[in-house]
Amino acid sequence: MRTNIKNYKEIDVSKIIGDKKLSALWHLMSGYQLNFIIANLFTTLAALARTGMYLYFGDFIDGVIQNGIQGENLLVSALSYGALITLQALSSFISNWMAKITAESSTRRLRDYLFDHIQHLPFAYHSEAKTGDLLERATSDVDTIQRFFGEQSINIGRILMILIVSFIAITRINLRLALISIIIMPIVLVISMFFFKSLSKAYEAYQEQGAVLSTNLQENLSGVRVVKAFARQDYEIRKFDQENLKKYKLGRKFVWMHSLFWPLTDIICAAQEIGSNFIAATMVINDTMTLGQFITFHGLLVWLIWPIRNLGRMIIDTSRTFVSLGRITTILKAEQEDMTTSTFEPNGSIHGDIQFENVSFEYEKDQSVLENVSFECNAGDVVALLGSTGSGKTSLVNLLPRFYDVTGGRILLDGVNLNEYSRQFLRSQIGIVEQEPFLFSCSIRDNITYGVHREVSEEEIIAAAKEAAIHDVILEFKNGYDTLVGERGVTLSGGQKQRVAIARTLLINPRILIMDDSTSSVDMETEVQIRSALQSLMANRTTFIIAHRIQSIMNADQILVFDNGKIVQRGVHEDLLNQPGIYQDIYEIQAKIDSALQEEIDRVNLL
Amino acid sequence: MSTYYDENELDDEVHLSQGVIGRLLKLLKKYWLLILFGIAAIAFVSWLDAYFTVLNKQIIDEGIVTKNVNFMIKLFRNYSLIVLAQLAGFFVMMYSVGLLGEKLRYDLRGKLFNHLQKLSLSYFSKTPLGWIMSRVTSDTEKMADLLTWGIIDTIWALTNIGFATFYMIRLNSQLALIVILSLPIMIFISFKFRVRIYYHFRRSRKANSKMTAALNENITGVRVVKALLREDKNLKNFKVLSTDMFRESYRAGLISSIYLPTIQTISAISLVLVLWRGGNMVGNTQLSVGTLQAFITYIMLILWPIQDLARVYAEMQNAVASSERVFSLLETKPEIVDRSETTPITSLVGEVEFENVSFHYETDEPVIRNLSFKIPQGQKVALVGTTGGGKTTIVNLLCRFYEPSEGTIRIAGQDYLNYSLEDIQSRIGVVLQIPHLFSGSIRDNLRYGRLDASDEEIEEAAKLAGAHDFITKFEKGYDSDVGEGGNQLSVGQKQLISIARALLADPDIFIMDEATSSVDTLTESLIQKGMHELMSGRTSFIIAHRLSTIKNADQIFVIEEGQIAENGNHQELIRRRGLYYNLYTKQFRHDLESRLDPFSGTEKAGNPA
Repeated sequence: MRTNIKNYKEIDVSKIIGDKKLSALWHLMSGYQLNFIIANLFTTLAALARTGMYLYFGDFIDGVIQNGIQGENLLVSALSYGALITLQALSSFISNWMAKITAESSTRRLRDYLFDHIQHLPFAYHSEAKTGDLLERATSDVDTIQRFFGEQSINIGRILMILIVSFIAITRINLRLALISIIIMPIVLVISMFFFKSLSKAYEAYQEQGAVLSTNLQENLSGVRVVKAFARQDYEIRKFDQENLKKYKLGRKFVWMHSLFWPLTDIICAAQEIGSNFIAATMVINDTMTLGQFITFHGLLVWLIWPIRNLGRMIIDTSRTFVSLGRITTILKAEQEDMTTSTFEPNGSIHGDIQFENVSFEYEKDQSVLENVSFECNAGDVVALLGSTGSGKTSLVNLLPRFYDVTGGRILLDGVNLNEYSRQFLRSQIGIVEQEPFLFSCSIRDNITYGVHREVSEEEIIAAAKEAAIHDVILEFKNGYDTLVGERGVTLSGGQKQRVAIARTLLINPRILIMDDSTSSVDMETEVQIRSALQSLMANRTTFIIAHRIQSIMNADQILVFDNGKIVQRGVHEDLLNQPGIYQDIYEIQAKIDSALQEEIDRVNLL
Repeated sequence: MSTYYDENELDDEVHLSQGVIGRLLKLLKKYWLLILFGIAAIAFVSWLDAYFTVLNKQIIDEGIVTKNVNFMIKLFRNYSLIVLAQLAGFFVMMYSVGLLGEKLRYDLRGKLFNHLQKLSLSYFSKTPLGWIMSRVTSDTEKMADLLTWGIIDTIWALTNIGFATFYMIRLNSQLALIVILSLPIMIFISFKFRVRIYYHFRRSRKANSKMTAALNENITGVRVVKALLREDKNLKNFKVLSTDMFRESYRAGLISSIYLPTIQTISAISLVLVLWRGGNMVGNTQLSVGTLQAFITYIMLILWPIQDLARVYAEMQNAVASSERVFSLLETKPEIVDRSETTPITSLVGEVEFENVSFHYETDEPVIRNLSFKIPQGQKVALVGTTGGGKTTIVNLLCRFYEPSEGTIRIAGQDYLNYSLEDIQSRIGVVLQIPHLFSGSIRDNLRYGRLDASDEEIEEAAKLAGAHDFITKFEKGYDSDVGEGGNQLSVGQKQLISIARALLADPDIFIMDEATSSVDTLTESLIQKGMHELMSGRTSFIIAHRLSTIKNADQIFVIEEGQIAENGNHQELIRRRGLYYNLYTKQFRHDLESRLDPFSGTEKAGNPA
């Protein structure tokens, strides 16, 4: 079956993030509101048709008994009845179909929007947010909304319509009877809502115990060596059984409650049904009602009483929808980064001259991270940043691609204030190699070309990989460049990931490079290879390097030593050597190491 | 419960084979009483469902039409009693079936877990964790559902249709025939529809999980996405996934919307025929009004069991696939087992010998070739060499997590294959590279070393390992919760507990895979002290990274390409100026540099608060 999938009308977020929840839900449906209205119209039509069926049949019986309809008339009557059924079926179909269109289309659009929105939220938002939480909101909570549009709202509408129409039809038969028949309605509604709330709680406890079991199982599986090493299999079996039994008991409790609920409410509903039917039957005997009317009443009564229980459940379910909506709205309220606004249009790539003039930066009020930082460098220079954790180095480099904006002073790029460039342009000119590189689950080739927004030839990719000293490693894999990385593919070592990230950056060929050269997570042989790859990377680009290794610093054009957000020492290697301070201490380390090693070896030789 | 499922498994289509049915029935055997209750109850409920319609006919024909008030009262009274009886039956059915389901789940989960404990390390290295978790969590659910609601719903549907048919024939065979003829058509169409709906439903689930994975990755790597300006492209890729899901979900929904109305329309045909024929007969007083009413009711009600049958049929295949996977796991045999005749021993104190040992994992490439050495009791051996050279394999073989492909390993004079696994593994103490703790208290984790250890003995071991001090600093001391996987403790603290645990076990042979992550100087010295305790008097094998460990070893093996390339003690090997010399000097520089350079390295992982 071919489904026509069109592009949708975009959401107007402003209408959704207001405080009015119902209005928000309405606007989430925009473009499909007509479908939703039609769905509800046809739900009403279906309810009317269904009630009509019972009315018709009642009349039919009276007609057959009293007037003895025969032959053709009988056939016509029968066919009309069939037509009513078909009308009801057709209306249900249209109603459900329209509801599905509304639900599926609106949520598809919402999902796309959330995806894009989240990725455009600024760094500051993402540092605070938890991945798991964001993910749950963009998936489970959206699913809840989908269920509301596609099923719950229609079902509630359907039950309400059937209730109302059936009730009206019964009042037209006999008002007193109708009123008697709905006595238990509020009682059943309240009881079922109460019951479903308790049931939900019991069910949640059951689910939570399931999570405990999962954790237990996972620890056992990932710690299998420890279990075997201490020969603790029996102990583990007993431990698991304890939790397993708990889950069983919670499940049993839930089953008990569930098994009680239905029969208990059944008694109430059945009592009402039997009572009403009895009264109606006596009314027929007393000639206050025809047999046909009794049959109609008998049929409609069922639709008046039994669906109330489900209504209780649906009301509880619907409250969840509002909770989910609230959770999604909190994300939508956060502002996206402005990527494209610029007050300055550069001609082609930037040169790379950078000036920091009295730059200050704080994440939050009174939490100053950088204070009055000033320096300048020319295109192609290597600037090494030194300092202990939290001294401001990382925050400084985050200012360059405008992941954050300065709170005081200004940064000039090629003589123009950084804020005048669009973020999009800046980021296209800046390459970043992180401490712990992140690769995506796609092929190695796709990872290398990840940041390039043009056609790249195979030669270019291989050249980048060679320069990053990773080409040979890639060829060792069975599928070479097509090898998948990540959960579904191979797991690369820390050093290998770094080199792929370096190849990725090389291919982008940025004018400015930001680098963190920590290679502490890597074994010694790979360090050498990474170092040579990094050397290639730094050539001919303005490089800001957060340095952890003395070697990286020694050849820098400018060294800035940070402490508590301020520059405490600056200069080139030779200058700093002669100044007492942290820098001098670092340099002397190398010499210390050499002599210590020599001492060590000599000691052995003497033994 | 977070249920894991593998996308690819949603494709599994298996047919209910004899083998699976047999095994499923075997599972149910011990719950025969509950099943009996459940089936009896549902048949009872089902019968009464059909009977009510007959009762209603009676009320109309013999009570109302004949204006027989007394009889009608009697009928209503019977009706009420039968309602109560049905409710009782319904309760019995729901409770026994629900209970059966929980028992089955408990049973299956337990069986799987216990079997997993028997399987060898090789199974766990080649099987993804998520796959195993899926079997125990998600597949057991599906199996339980199949064996409970699957069976009950089917029986309900069949008995319902059966009883309805029976009563209809009794009431009027002509009209009954009309209904019966329509049944196969409706059942057939139902089955077709439901299978199709389920097919699209499964595909939409698969698309959903792909979408979630993409979203997850985009959030986790958002910094890189921004830095590389990938927002637009990633959105485009995502839209493909969300459109896929939309397509499948919409189709499932559309077909679902068409399904019921279609069947209703088909049943409308029999309704029309019955009305026409029946109406005629009522006019000729050949048929009572009550009977006509009864037929209309039966036709409308019979739609439900037909739908149920179709639903179970459609979902059954997936549940059977789950069952097959569970059974295949239960039937996996462990690779490393005790020999049929084992020599019991009370201690492993003695010489450790490898004689011409070779080993290869799955592939044909041997990881260890013709390795031979003899280690006298009490000696400390340090294993060094490049990654992948074979050091971990040697240790794995010693612990008998794997067995040699060729050659013999002897401990305390005998081939160690003659000993039982428990005897060996309970007497070898192991400290792994990444310490693994279980959620629970510190005390529970320590007690893992010896389950019957007293609190004093536990404290003693902790003191020897240097862990006692930091433990007592915690508010709850030894009863402090270590968190999931030990996440409340720093790496260093976990290591110390690991060592204390091994000390408590009082092993005859000590094996350690030294951690490479750096800890603060104080913890470092405590760890070394603890190791010293462990090694004293015990034969020890250490995969060493610390220079101090290596230097103080009685023997050093440099393992390269599955062979002992160099061996001797520190002094001898330094003088040789060979492989060891290179490794040692490189490590020396590296360590000293890390220690002296104030800007080197990242933050130490998980510093204690």
